[in-house]
Amino acid sequence: MKRILENIKIAFNSITLNKLRSFLTMLGIIIGVGSVIAVTSIGSAAEASISENIQSVGSNVITITPGRDRPFTSSSSGGESLREIQRETNINRSGGNARPPEEQGQGPAGGGFMGGMPMIEEEEEEEEIVAGELYLEDVSALKEKSDLLENIAPVLTLGNLNFSYGSSSGNISVTATSEQYPSLSGYEIDLGSFFTEFDVLNATSVVVLGYDVVTDYFGKINPIGEEVKINGEKFIVMGTLKSAGYTFGMSADNSIFIPVTTAQNKLYGNDTINQITAKVKSEDFIDAAIIEAKSILREQHSILPGEPNDFEISSSEQLLEMATSITDTLVITLASIAAISLLVGGIGIMNIMFVSVTERTREIGIRKAIGAKNRDILIQFLTESTVLSLSGGITGIGLAGLITWIINTFTALSSLITISPVVIALAFSTVIGLLFGILPAMRAARLSPIESLRYE
Amino acid sequence: MEKKIILTKEITKIYKVGDIKVNALRGINLEINEGEFVSIMGPSGSGKSTLMNILGCLDKPTSGFYYLDGINVMDLNDNQLAEIRNKKVGFVFQTFNLLPRLNIIGNVELPLIYSRREQSRARKDLINEVINSVGLAEWIKHKPSELSGGQRQRVAIARALINNPAIIMADEPTGNLDSRTGEEIMAIFQELNRRGKTIIFVTHEIEIAKHSGRIIYLRDGILCGEEKVKEPVNACKMLENMPKLEDKINNFSNNNSNVI
Repeated sequence: MKRILENIKIAFNSITLNKLRSFLTMLGIIIGVGSVIAVTSIGSAAEASISENIQSVGSNVITITPGRDRPFTSSSSGGESLREIQRETNINRSGGNARPPEEQGQGPAGGGFMGGMPMIEEEEEEEEIVAGELYLEDVSALKEKSDLLENIAPVLTLGNLNFSYGSSSGNISVTATSEQYPSLSGYEIDLGSFFTEFDVLNATSVVVLGYDVVTDYFGKINPIGEEVKINGEKFIVMGTLKSAGYTFGMSADNSIFIPVTTAQNKLYGNDTINQITAKVKSEDFIDAAIIEAKSILREQHSILPGEPNDFEISSSEQLLEMATSITDTLVITLASIAAISLLVGGIGIMNIMFVSVTERTREIGIRKAIGAKNRDILIQFLTESTVLSLSGGITGIGLAGLITWIINTFTALSSLITISPVVIALAFSTVIGLLFGILPAMRAARLSPIESLRYE
Repeated sequence: MEKKIILTKEITKIYKVGDIKVNALRGINLEINEGEFVSIMGPSGSGKSTLMNILGCLDKPTSGFYYLDGINVMDLNDNQLAEIRNKKVGFVFQTFNLLPRLNIIGNVELPLIYSRREQSRARKDLINEVINSVGLAEWIKHKPSELSGGQRQRVAIARALINNPAIIMADEPTGNLDSRTGEEIMAIFQELNRRGKTIIFVTHEIEIAKHSGRIIYLRDGILCGEEKVKEPVNACKMLENMPKLEDKINNFSNNNSNVI
C-alpha cells in the first residue's frame, strides 16, 4: 500500500514538473471523456423528454395518415439482415427507383437497439401501401362504426401562415382540428374555451392560441374576443392554452388551432386532411383497434380484398420506439466519434511516456543500481501513465458537467450526468493509461543499469 | 582464517562495440576478506570501472566465477542481482547520482523503498540516524542542487549505508571534489572501515589510494600487482594540517584587495 502511494507521489511529481506538457497530453483524454459523457447524458435527456411528451399524450393514441406511394412498409420489424432482403426486393419491384425519403429515414429504425416491441413486429410485416387521401368522411365513418376508438379527431396542419393582431404580425404554425383535440393531445385550456362541435359543424371563424402566441402578441391584454387575421381572414380568439413544452423540438406553444372545416373552406381550399388521431378505449386493445380501424377505412375507401391500403396506421408506441431509436443511433454515432479522440489521447500518452523514459534514463539507472527490480520500474511508469490518463478522465468529467450545464441553461433539455458513463469513462481512462503506458514502461524496465547510469 | 567476502576466479568481460570486441577484463583472480579496505588503481581504460561494476553486481562477467559473501553471482537473474545490490552492496559514485527531485530524506530512503521493509516508525529513526552519522542533520529537507559537492557525496554515502550492507563500493568517490572535501569523505570511509565495513574503491590518485590497507593495480584488464600499505594515511590527521576553505578565501581576498 505504502509502495503504491509512493509510486503515485512520484507520478504526480513528474507530472507537475512539466505542467504544460502534461496538460497537453491529457487534453486528448479530457476532450474524449468530456464529449462521450456529455453526448450520452444529453442524448438520454433528449430521449427522456421525447418519451415524456409522447407518454403525456398517452400510449393508447393511434394516428392514421394518408398512404404515400410506396410498395412496402414495415416500420418496425426484424433486424438488419431481414431489412437488407426487403431492400433488395423493393429495388426489384420498383424497377430500381429510389425510395421516398420518409422511408429511408424510418427504415433502419426499430429492432436493432431497442430489441423492438414484439407485438408490433408480428403485426406489420411487409405491408404494401399505395397513395391515397383522407377526408372528414373517414372521421365520421370511424366515429359511427368503431367500438374500440374514442375521441376521434381530424388533423390538418397548414404550416406557417401569416398571423396578425393589430399592427403586429408574423408567421405561425396553424393546426386545424376538431373539438376532440384537447383530450387527445393533453393540451390544457388557460383562458376561454376550446372550440366546440358547433364551431366545427358550422365552420365558424374562431381560433385558440398557444401560450407563446399570447405572450408575444397580446402581452397583458386579455385576448379572448379579440379579432386576429390569418392569411388575411378574420378570426375571433376563443381560448388560450397553457404552456405545453416541446415535442420533437416543436412546441404547441407557438401554434394556433382552428376548426378543420373553417380551414378547408377559407385557407386550404381542399377537402382532404393530413391525419386522423384517435384514442383507443383501453391499452389492451391497441392491436385490435388498429385492425378494426383498418377494416372500417378499407370499406370506406372501397378497397377490394387483396388490394393494398391507401392509408397507414401507427400507434404512439411505435412513434416512441422510432424516436428513441433515432436518438440512440445519434448518440452512439456521436459517442463513437468522441471515443476516437480517447484513442488519439492514448497515443499521445504513449508518446509522452516514451519521451519521459528517455529523459529519465539516468534516474532509472540510479534506481536500479540501488536495488530497484525491473518490476519496480515497470510499476512506476505504469502508475505515471495511469495517473496522467485518469487525471485527464476526471478533468473530462468536469468538462462534461460544464457542457451539460450550458446545454441545460440554454435549451429546454434537463440533462443529468448519470453514474454509469462516469464510471465507464474512469475505467476507460485507466485502461488507456495502462494500455498505452505498457510499452514505454517495459522499455524503462528493461534498461540495463550501467548503460543508463552512463546516459547523459 | 578470515572470511572471504569477495572471491573471483578468471573473470573476463568482453564488450561488443559494433563488430569490434573489446576485452575489458581478461581473467581477474581476486580475494577480499571481510573488513578489508581495498583500493583498485589503474590508468583510464584499464578496466577498473568494469571490474567495479561486476563486483557491485551492476553487470555480469562474460565468463569466470564470482562469489559474493558465499553466493555464486553467476547463477543469479536480474531480479536476484537487484536484491544483492539492495541488501549486500552500498554504491557511491563519482558523480553522486542522487535524484534531483527528491530531498535528502527521499534520496537516503530510496533503497529502503525497494527492500520492502515496512515498520514506518523504526524506518524514520533509521533514516535520521544515518543522515546524522554523515553530519547532514540540518539539511534533511534540502534538495541535492542546494548542497555542495562534499555534502552530496555524504548523502550518497548515507544512501549506501541505509540498508546496512556488508560492502561499500565507491567508484572514484573523490574524483569530483577538491582535496580538502575529498579528505573529509575519506575520513568517513576510514571511520566506516574501523567499524567493520568492507570497503572497496576505485581511484587513479595514489594519495587517495594510500588511505586504504591494500592497493591492487590493474592494467589492460589484468591484475598486475598489489601492495600492502604499511601505514595508511589517517584522513583526520591530514585534515588538521589542511587550511580550511574559509581561511583560503580570506587570504585570497586580503592579498588581492588592492587590485580591485
